[in-house]
Amino acid sequence: MTDDRTHRIAVRDLTLAYGQTRVLDALTLPIAPGKITVLAGPNGCGKSTLLRAIRRLLKGTAGQVLLDDVDIAKMSGKDLALKIGLLAQNPSAPGDMSVEELVRLGRYPHQTMMQPWSPRDAEAVERAMAGTGVAELRTRPISSLSGGQLQRVWIALVLAQETDVICLDEPVNHLDIAHQLECLDLVARLNREHGRTIVLVLHDLNLAARYADELVFVREGRIAARGTPTELMSASLIGEVFGVHATIITDPVHGSPVCIPASRSSAPKAAAEKVAEAV
Amino acid sequence: MKPRTAALAWPVSATYAGLAVVLVVVMAMSLTLGYRIYSLDQVYRALFAFDGTDTSVIIANLRLPRAVVAPMVGAALGIAGVLVQTLSRNRIASPDTLGLNAGASLFVVMASSVLGVSSLMGLSFAAALGALGAALLVFGIAATAGGLSPLRIVLIGVTFAGLGHSVVEVVLTTNEAQMQQLLFWLSGAFVDRPLALAANGAPFMIVGGLVALVLSRALDALQADDSTAASLGVPLFIVRGAAFLSVSLLTGASVAMAGPVGFVGLVVPHAARWLVGLRHSRQIVAAALIGAIYATAADVAARFVIYPIEAPVGAVTAVVGGAMLLILLKRRAA
Repeated sequence: MTDDRTHRIAVRDLTLAYGQTRVLDALTLPIAPGKITVLAGPNGCGKSTLLRAIRRLLKGTAGQVLLDDVDIAKMSGKDLALKIGLLAQNPSAPGDMSVEELVRLGRYPHQTMMQPWSPRDAEAVERAMAGTGVAELRTRPISSLSGGQLQRVWIALVLAQETDVICLDEPVNHLDIAHQLECLDLVARLNREHGRTIVLVLHDLNLAARYADELVFVREGRIAARGTPTELMSASLIGEVFGVHATIITDPVHGSPVCIPASRSSAPKAAAEKVAEAV
Repeated sequence: MKPRTAALAWPVSATYAGLAVVLVVVMAMSLTLGYRIYSLDQVYRALFAFDGTDTSVIIANLRLPRAVVAPMVGAALGIAGVLVQTLSRNRIASPDTLGLNAGASLFVVMASSVLGVSSLMGLSFAAALGALGAALLVFGIAATAGGLSPLRIVLIGVTFAGLGHSVVEVVLTTNEAQMQQLLFWLSGAFVDRPLALAANGAPFMIVGGLVALVLSRALDALQADDSTAASLGVPLFIVRGAAFLSVSLLTGASVAMAGPVGFVGLVVPHAARWLVGLRHSRQIVAAALIGAIYATAADVAARFVIYPIEAPVGAVTAVVGGAMLLILLKRRAA
């Protein structure tokens, strides 16, 4: 899939406030089409807010989010839902809903009054379930699934929506390490094999560095820095954005930069130097 | 009820057909069984070859309205229950827990004691207005008090219901003359309801039911959290508003016909989901059929539980529904 089939998103001078508290402050960010962009930053920095604003779940007080140069505020809800999908943080649905019933919800924006359910919808649901490996769970109530299975089902819902842009808000929260990797591998595959533009909020810097094409540090409602993980994962930048002393080494297996933050209580410097020497 | 672990082995149309057959049977029971037991042949003659005998008069004037009003009210409350449980994302919510019945009762008592309304039509109209008013009030407060969170809606509804019922008690205590008539109405019953009431209420129920069906796909998506529904493109405010209108029409019309028949809207949606799953296009049809069966069967049962005296049907549905509510709470299905 080439770039011209993928939608271009650009956030321009976006300001967003909850009451008096300004969460996004004239923030500008172009999203690389067909790439994986990871938003990272300290708690309360506005990264989730930014993601939700990109999907128009929140509206800015000033500035715009542009989709192919059109202000999304001017688009219809359905049109937007056909182009940008979002997996919310901690999504929920009734426990007795079956996997298939949940994934079917992803077809909502494609359905019309005249044709509530077409073979295309059925195919999209099958593809989404097959692609996430949940097809054999289709009749199971979602309350009976493990955390990792459940997260795959939610991703299948967003996949069934068949949007070129997929936003995921902390999709690996509450998952153990194996399921974190499984979930992010799936996301990376969607990007590589289907050319989807992915925008992710991740807390774990090392996972962010491993999966991101472009890493974006958000701090106090502004973009603190953006670039490739190699460019951004520096001790000084991480110190500035997150307020921690960190040592950056290179992951010997994947080649991505790894951040080793120092605990305040231990003697960090000597230990960090030791690690740096060892690698 | 147990969560379903497998898809139905038969098509959903077979389920509908089965329910329709059961409905016809309980309606036939409603026409034939009671203080006197009539044969189907007598019923046929009374309805289709009226001969003016006492038997025919009783069947046509007393039994027939019950056999028509009960399924209509049950169907309307069943659908309203489905909508309310989805809107509040709460499986123990129902038109009663949201205070709609209380609103209807309050308006009836006020209309009777303040405005001097005494006709059944007038009281029914007051009931419908009361249900609508309660729905607007409860949702208005919930919406302004920081979003339509499921828990907040139910808390406000239950508070309003308590308040409404106590005002009703006070008015009734100070106004003994009207008490007899109103008490009968307030207990909920299908007895002595003229067919004209059913004809008046029917259009509201049909519109309410159609609105519910049109909303069914959006309601499916609303079963997920707000963020998920909104990112699927569901216009949350419009869908919730339209669903509320539908609930008010359905509940208002049924309270207008039969008074506040409790717990139908609570119990029926559970049975519907258990039978046909969570898709609203199916849930709504199944809940209408099951609600009709449940209310009609309860009405027949009410004739026998303290035979030869009739129990109020609201008492029968409350006993079954109350037990069911306790079971649900014990299983933490809410």
